[in-house]
Amino acid sequence: MPVMHVRMDNRLIHGQILVSWNAEFKIHHIIVTNDQVAADPLQVTLLKAVAPIGATVSVLSIKDCVAYCNSPAADNENIFIIAKFPEDGLALVEEGLDMPVLNLGNQAYVRGSKKLSNTVYLTESGVKALKALHEKGIRITCRMMPPDPDSEYWPTVEKKLPEWAT
Amino acid sequence: MVGIVIVSHGDMADGLLDAAHMIVGEQEGLATVSLREMDAVEGLMERVATAIEKVDAGDGVLVLVDLFGASPFNASARLAMQGDSNMEVISGVSLPMLVELMVQREGESLEKLVQVALEAGTSGVRTLSQTLNRTTS
Repeated sequence: MPVMHVRMDNRLIHGQILVSWNAEFKIHHIIVTNDQVAADPLQVTLLKAVAPIGATVSVLSIKDCVAYCNSPAADNENIFIIAKFPEDGLALVEEGLDMPVLNLGNQAYVRGSKKLSNTVYLTESGVKALKALHEKGIRITCRMMPPDPDSEYWPTVEKKLPEWAT
Repeated sequence: MVGIVIVSHGDMADGLLDAAHMIVGEQEGLATVSLREMDAVEGLMERVATAIEKVDAGDGVLVLVDLFGASPFNASARLAMQGDSNMEVISGVSLPMLVELMVQREGESLEKLVQVALEAGTSGVRTLSQTLNRTTS
């Protein structure tokens, strides 16, 4: 399976990815996918510049990311997908990506979001996206680093933010 | 004088500056910024920009970050690439790099200090055995 891991992380490519996750998987290809980031030439340039040794970085729109992952070019690669928000995760699935697990990485505070932990704040729209993913049978996890438990995270969201999760 | 901002994960930046004070004493025109686990990159960019403004005396600013490609680097790099200020970003900050910059920065240009930082950072990493072999052979 070419897509090894799908992570929602506002910080995109950063220390945890380059050091911990890159040591866990033999990543060939990091695809950063978010429509706003893909349209920002400065961020695209910087993300490509920080590619770890032995891996390439692409910055693609959600649509282009799914098209690439479903193409023969992706067959022989270990792909690590990083999107920014849970809504991106839902968009990837709706666009046709086969994604059994969605991992929540850093989700920093944004206006209107509520705290689940020091590293995870979710908006109402983000929670609704996770709920839709959960109802499609996709497993939601919340692992900052590879050793973190890969337990099902949706019950935590339901318990902490029932006003948005139910 | 060229300003210096150190940006790191956790308390490393403050710790480095504290250690440097023990070796070269206190100096003006230095600031630190720490990334905390709850920070957004955009919020970090604002804090780095504020620190740059604070230490910039008109001769430019060196931003020293801990890890290439990590959030302190990314936030600083995005500011540098926006091109609003005369600055350079150097990753792999260490005590040898920092103290060498602190003793050499008076009257030196930003371009010269970039070379000083790269050389001090590189030459600060060596093994005891290599050093002993060189002096005894």
